Amino acid sequence: MNTLKINYKNIYYPPGGILMWIIIFLELITFGMALVAFVYYGNEQRELFHHSRMQLNTTFGAINTVFLLTSGFFMANAVHQFKEKEIQKSSVFFKLAMLGGFLFLGLKSIEYYHKIESGISLDTNMFYTFYWLLTGFHVIHVIMGLVILGWTNYGMTKKDSDTITEDVEACAAFWHMCDLIWLLLFPVLYLIF
Amino acid sequence: MQKSLIFVYGVLIALTIATALIANFMLVSPFVVSLIMGLAVFKFSLVTFQFMELKKANSFWKVSLTLTLGLIVLLIIFLK
Repeated sequence: MNTLKINYKNIYYPPGGILMWIIIFLELITFGMALVAFVYYGNEQRELFHHSRMQLNTTFGAINTVFLLTSGFFMANAVHQFKEKEIQKSSVFFKLAMLGGFLFLGLKSIEYYHKIESGISLDTNMFYTFYWLLTGFHVIHVIMGLVILGWTNYGMTKKDSDTITEDVEACAAFWHMCDLIWLLLFPVLYLIF
Repeated sequence: MQKSLIFVYGVLIALTIATALIANFMLVSPFVVSLIMGLAVFKFSLVTFQFMELKKANSFWKVSLTLTLGLIVLLIIFLK
């Protein structure tokens, strides 16, 4: 079976495409700087940050990590199957990856509901300002990722599809980026204060 | 399914459970913070190098990502 060969060793062709990797670096630096600022302020208000952190549900955070990692695992398999020209199998993995994203959003919604019900908002204190902004922006990325996944899956399964490996890899790279951001947000927001 | 992907996935889940256990059963200290952030870096690297196939990319991307991530996590550990 013929598979498309891309020279990934070329600096201009990382898996997912150079533009997607520029976006990943920008996102990593942006969220990273916000997390550094969060820790800096946390060091100045240790009691407040510790008390606020204890109000977060670490079990929810850990389960959401599992949801995103599982979703990322299915996404990696979807790319592998697409490269093997197994479009239907790839599509099944795409849907499983999307399911992981929806489960993440579902649990996040429950967590947000509990916080809002307890009267915790963006203005509550410095900890929660960071909490809402960082997790909120991350949720927006997950929603965008689900739209991209759904659109790519539709494009690759329709008749006379012109979806190529680079498209699927770029889509997967964006989805994995959501994992990566969460892998940094979870320990810093939920565990270390 | 590729066996290597299944293995990496298993390691990622095991590390997530280990992180949750460490956070629940150990008092927060500089050592525990370093341990938790170290596990996060390892998980981050597994996702990028294995799931995103960065291992196949030009060294420029591997080195750049490692340096960027390393700088962010070191700043977090030192500021904490």
